[in-house]
Amino acid sequence: MRLGFMRGAGVLAVSLLAITACTGQTTSSAAPDESGGAASEAPVEKVTIRLTTWAGEDESAELQELVLDKINAEQSEFEIIHEPAPADYYTKVQTGLAGGTAPDLMWLSQEYIAGFASRGALLDVTELVAQSDLPAGQVDSYFPDVIKTARYQDGLYGLPWIAQPVVLYYNPALFDEAGIDYPDESWDWDTFLEASKALTTDADGDGVPEQYGFSLNGWPPLHMFIWQAGGEVIADDLGSSPIDSPEAIAAAEFYSEMIFSAECCPSEETLAEQGFSEMFKAGTVAMFMGGASDTFDGLDVVGASVVPSGPANRTTFSYTASTAVNSATEHPEIAARALVALTEGIHHWKIVAPRTDLLSEDVILASIPEKWKAQKEPQLAAIIAAAEDMSAFNIIPRHQEWDDLFWKEFQDPLYHDQGTAAELAAAARAKLEDVMR
Amino acid sequence: MLEWYGATLLRYVAVAVGIGVLMWLTHRGLRRLGMRRESAIGLTLIMPWLLGFLIWNLYPIAASLFFSFTDYNILQPPRWVGIDNYRTMFTSDPSFWPSVQLTMTFALISVPLGLAGSVVAAILLNQGVRGVGLWRTLFYLPAVLPAFIVALLWRLLLLPTRSGLINGVTEPVWSLFSDTPPGWFLDADMVLWSFVIMSFWGIFGANTVIMLAGLKNIPRDLYDAASVDGAGTFSKFRYVTIPQLTPTLFYLLVMGVIGAVQVFDQPKFVELPAGSPNFLNVVVYTQAFAFSKMGYGAALAWFMFVVILLLTLAIFRSSSAWVYYEAEVRERA
Amino acid sequence: MTTRSDSAGPAVSPAARLLQSPAARHVTRYGLAYVLLGLGAAFALVPFIWMLSTSLKSIDQLFTFPPTWLPDPIVWRNYLDAWQALPFGIMVFNSLFVTALAMFGELSTASLVAYGFARFRFPFRNALFLLMLATMMLPWVVTLIPGFLIWRWLGLINTYDPLTVGALFAWGPFYIFLLRQFFLTVSREIEEAAIIDGANAMQVFWHVMLPLVKPVLLAVALLSFQGNWNNFRSALIFLYNPIERFTLPLGLQFFQATLTAGEAPRWHYMMAMSTLMALPILVLFFLAQRQFIEGIQLGGVKG
Repeated sequence: MRLGFMRGAGVLAVSLLAITACTGQTTSSAAPDESGGAASEAPVEKVTIRLTTWAGEDESAELQELVLDKINAEQSEFEIIHEPAPADYYTKVQTGLAGGTAPDLMWLSQEYIAGFASRGALLDVTELVAQSDLPAGQVDSYFPDVIKTARYQDGLYGLPWIAQPVVLYYNPALFDEAGIDYPDESWDWDTFLEASKALTTDADGDGVPEQYGFSLNGWPPLHMFIWQAGGEVIADDLGSSPIDSPEAIAAAEFYSEMIFSAECCPSEETLAEQGFSEMFKAGTVAMFMGGASDTFDGLDVVGASVVPSGPANRTTFSYTASTAVNSATEHPEIAARALVALTEGIHHWKIVAPRTDLLSEDVILASIPEKWKAQKEPQLAAIIAAAEDMSAFNIIPRHQEWDDLFWKEFQDPLYHDQGTAAELAAAARAKLEDVMR
Repeated sequence: MLEWYGATLLRYVAVAVGIGVLMWLTHRGLRRLGMRRESAIGLTLIMPWLLGFLIWNLYPIAASLFFSFTDYNILQPPRWVGIDNYRTMFTSDPSFWPSVQLTMTFALISVPLGLAGSVVAAILLNQGVRGVGLWRTLFYLPAVLPAFIVALLWRLLLLPTRSGLINGVTEPVWSLFSDTPPGWFLDADMVLWSFVIMSFWGIFGANTVIMLAGLKNIPRDLYDAASVDGAGTFSKFRYVTIPQLTPTLFYLLVMGVIGAVQVFDQPKFVELPAGSPNFLNVVVYTQAFAFSKMGYGAALAWFMFVVILLLTLAIFRSSSAWVYYEAEVRERA
Repeated sequence: MTTRSDSAGPAVSPAARLLQSPAARHVTRYGLAYVLLGLGAAFALVPFIWMLSTSLKSIDQLFTFPPTWLPDPIVWRNYLDAWQALPFGIMVFNSLFVTALAMFGELSTASLVAYGFARFRFPFRNALFLLMLATMMLPWVVTLIPGFLIWRWLGLINTYDPLTVGALFAWGPFYIFLLRQFFLTVSREIEEAAIIDGANAMQVFWHVMLPLVKPVLLAVALLSFQGNWNNFRSALIFLYNPIERFTLPLGLQFFQATLTAGEAPRWHYMMAMSTLMALPILVLFFLAQRQFIEGIQLGGVKG
C-alpha cells in the first residue's frame, strides 16, 4: 500500500517537473514579448521589434516585400517582424495589452489613438522621433491636420502612415451620355445637387431609376459637410459638440435631403440589394466619394475631382492611421527608430503619404501598383488638390462611444425622417457632450 | 518549427498522465478517508472537470464578477465603483431593457420552434428511404459552413426589395398588406422575425444530429412490444418515441436556451438597423471591446448569467414531470 | 406497419391490388418523406451552391446584380491561387494537429466525467453538475482576458497548448451534459449484470456503457472535430507569429481586405478555402452517419 502511494507520488512529481521544464523552455523560445533575441549584451545581435497590423493577405505580402525586407536588410540594430491580425484586430490588441504580450509597434486607426494614449498604453515618442534624421521623423513636414490625430494633450503617440483625402470620383461615360460637364473645382453644393438629379434617369418610367447621380448611406461622412458649412463637430478644445449651430444644421439638412432621395440617390433597400460601392463599379451610379487610394475594378476610366465646395470652404475629409509604440516595450529607443524607419518605408508604399514634401504626382504615381496606374494617373491632380485642403476629426478618448451616439441619436433618425435636424441636433448634443467629459 | 508541435505534445502527454495519476490518487485518498465505493469512484471520475474548473474557470468567473463592480478599460487597472454599473444598466441605459426584450423574445420563440423542427427533421432522416446517408449529409451541409457565410446568405435571401428571394416568393402574401416589401434587416420592427427565421437554419446541423442519435438510442424491442400490443404509427410516436426522446429533448432545450440568450455570431455579422436594440451578447462585446468599458460589459454579462441560470433551473425543476430516464415502456390502457 | 388479418373481404380489383403492392406502399408511406427531404435538401444546398459559385468567379463578377449562380467564365484557378496565397499546406497540418489532440482530450475526459455524473451518487453531485452547466452561461467576452492571463502566467502564449491541453480537462460541458443524458438512458440491469460478473467500474465503462451509447459518441466525435477544426477565436488571441503557426480558420481571415488596402475583399478566395475546409467535415459526417444506422440498440432490457 505505502509503496504504491510512494510510486504514485513519484510519478506525479516527475510529471509536474516535466511540465515545468517544458514550460521553461517555451518561455524563452516562443513567448514573443521577451523580445531582445538571445543576447542583450552583445550589440551584434539584432533586436526583434514586433509589429502588428490588420493587413490582409495581399497587403501583408506587399508590406513584407516592399517595406520590411528593405528595412531589415539595411538595419543592423533591429529587425521588424510582422504579426498580422486580419480580423477582430482591436480585440486581439487589447487582450494582448492587458496580458502584456502585445507587440512593440501597432497600427491604430485614427479614432483609437487618443483613447489608448489617455490610458497609458502608448509611448510618447516626441523626443525619440526628434532624434531621428530620416525625413519621416520631421514632424513638421506632416500635414498639420493629419498629425494632430496622433497627438494627445501634449504628447505625440504615433506617426501617421497614410492620409486618405476624400475625392469625388465620377464615371465620365455617364456624364458624356447626359451631356453634363465633368465635376471640377468650380462645383459647389448646388451644382452638385443639380448634376446628381440630372444624372438620375428613369427611362422606362416605372418609378425606379436605372441610373443614379450619387449615392449616400452615411458615407461620405456628414462631418465633411458640416466643416464645409463652417461648422464644427467636435470643437478644437474637445469640450463641446456644437452640432446644433446654424451651419451644422444647414449641412445636415443638405445631407438628409439627398440621402435615399429618389431624385438623385438610391434608396436604402436598393443599396442593400446592390451594394454601395458595387453600384458605382457597375455603372449604375455616376458619382462616388471615396478615399484617394480607392480602385474600381470593372471600370476602365474613372475621373476624379475635388469635392464640391460648401458655403464656407472646400475642405475634404481625411482618414488617417498611425503606427504607435507600446508603452510597455522593452526597447523604447530602438522601437522608436524602427517606427521612423517603418513609417518612411510606408510613405513610399501607400498613397497618400501624409507629408507635404511627398505630395507630388511622381511620388504618388510611384507608389501605385502597376495594374492600377492607368486608372489612377488622371486622378492625381484632383488627389493632390484634395490633400492640400483636408481635415481630420478632433478625436476624444471615448471616440467610439461618441461616434455610436452621433449615429444613433442624430444621423440615423434624421435620415429616416424621424425629426428635423434642429430638434435632433439639440437633443443629441447633450448626450454627445456627456461622453466628452 | 518542429518544436512547436513537440513541445505541445510533450506537455499534453505529461498533463494527461498527470491527470490520470491525480485521479488514481484521489480514489485512493477518498477510500482511505472511508468514503463509500460509489461516491469515491464518482468523485474520481469527475476529477478532470473539477481540476479544469479550479484552474481555468474559477479565476475568470471571479474576475469577471469583480470587473462588474469596477470601471475597467482593459488597459489600466480596474477602479472600484460599487453597483454603479448595475444601476446604470437597470435605470439609465435606454437601450438595456429593449435589448433584454429582444433577446428574451428571440430565445423563447426560436428555441421551441427549433426543437420541433429538429424532431421532424430527425424523424425524416430516420426513415427507411433510399440513399438516407446522402440525405443526411445534405441536411448537415449548412452546419459546416462558417458563420459569416451563412449570415451573408441570409442577407441575400432577406433582401428588402422585391428581388430578395424570400420577398419574391412570398409576394402574394405581403402585397395584401402593403405596397412595399418587408424590410427584414433594415426594418427595426422586423429584426426579431428576421433572426427567428435565420435561427431555423439551425435545424440543419448539430441539433438534428443529436436528435437522430437520440432516436437511434431507442431500443427496437420497445417498438416491437408496442406493435404486439396493437399500436399504430401515431401511437408509437406518442407513447414510445417521444418519451424515449425526452432526455435528448431536455438536453437540447437547456442548451438551446443557453445558446439563444447568448446569440452572437449572426447578429454580429448581419448588422442591425440603428433604430433597433441589439442582442445582449453583442452589446456586451461592443461595450467591452469597442468602447473599452469592460466593467459595464461584465455587469451586463452577469445579468445574462443570472437570467440563464434561472431559466435553466426552472427547466430542471420541471424535468421530473416530463423527462424519463432508463428504458421504460409506458403501460398503455 | 401492423399486420392485421382482416383482409377477408370482397375480391379486390387489379387497380386496388396495385395500390396495395409493396412498391406503392413504399411510395405512399415514404412519399411525404421524400417530398419533405427534397425541400429540406434544396434549402440546405442553396448556401453551399452559392459558396461554390462565388469561389469560381473572377473578381469583377463577385457582386454583379442580379446575382449570377453560374459563373462565366468558371475560374478553377481560384482554388490554386487561394492555396498559394498563404502557407495553407502547413496550416492544414496545424489544424489537424490541434484538432486531433483536442478531440482525443474532449472525448476521453467528457465521457469519463459524464459517466461519473450519470451513474454514481456522491456528495454535492447535483450542485457540481449545475456548476458545470453554469460555466456555459457566462458570455465569453468577459472571461476572455482573465483566461488569457492564466495562459500568460504559464508562459504558453503563442503555442498550441491553449488550443489543445485544455481539452484534457473536459473543457466542454456541452459534451459532458450530452453524454450524461445518454448514459442515464441505459438501464441499471445491464450494469448490474456486468458487476455481478466481476467487472470493476472502468471495465463496465469500457465494455458496457460506451458501446451502448455509440450513436451519441459518434455525434460527439463529429461535433468535436468540427468545433476544433473551425475554432477561430482561440487561434486569434493565442497565436502571434509566425504565420506558419496559424490554423486554417485564422488563415482564412486574411482574405478580407481592409480599410487601407483600396481593393475589395477576396471573396472568391475566401469561398474557395471555405469549401476546402468544409470537405473533411462532410466526409467524416458521411462516414460516421453510416455507423448511426448500425447503432440501433439490440436487446434492451425492459424496465
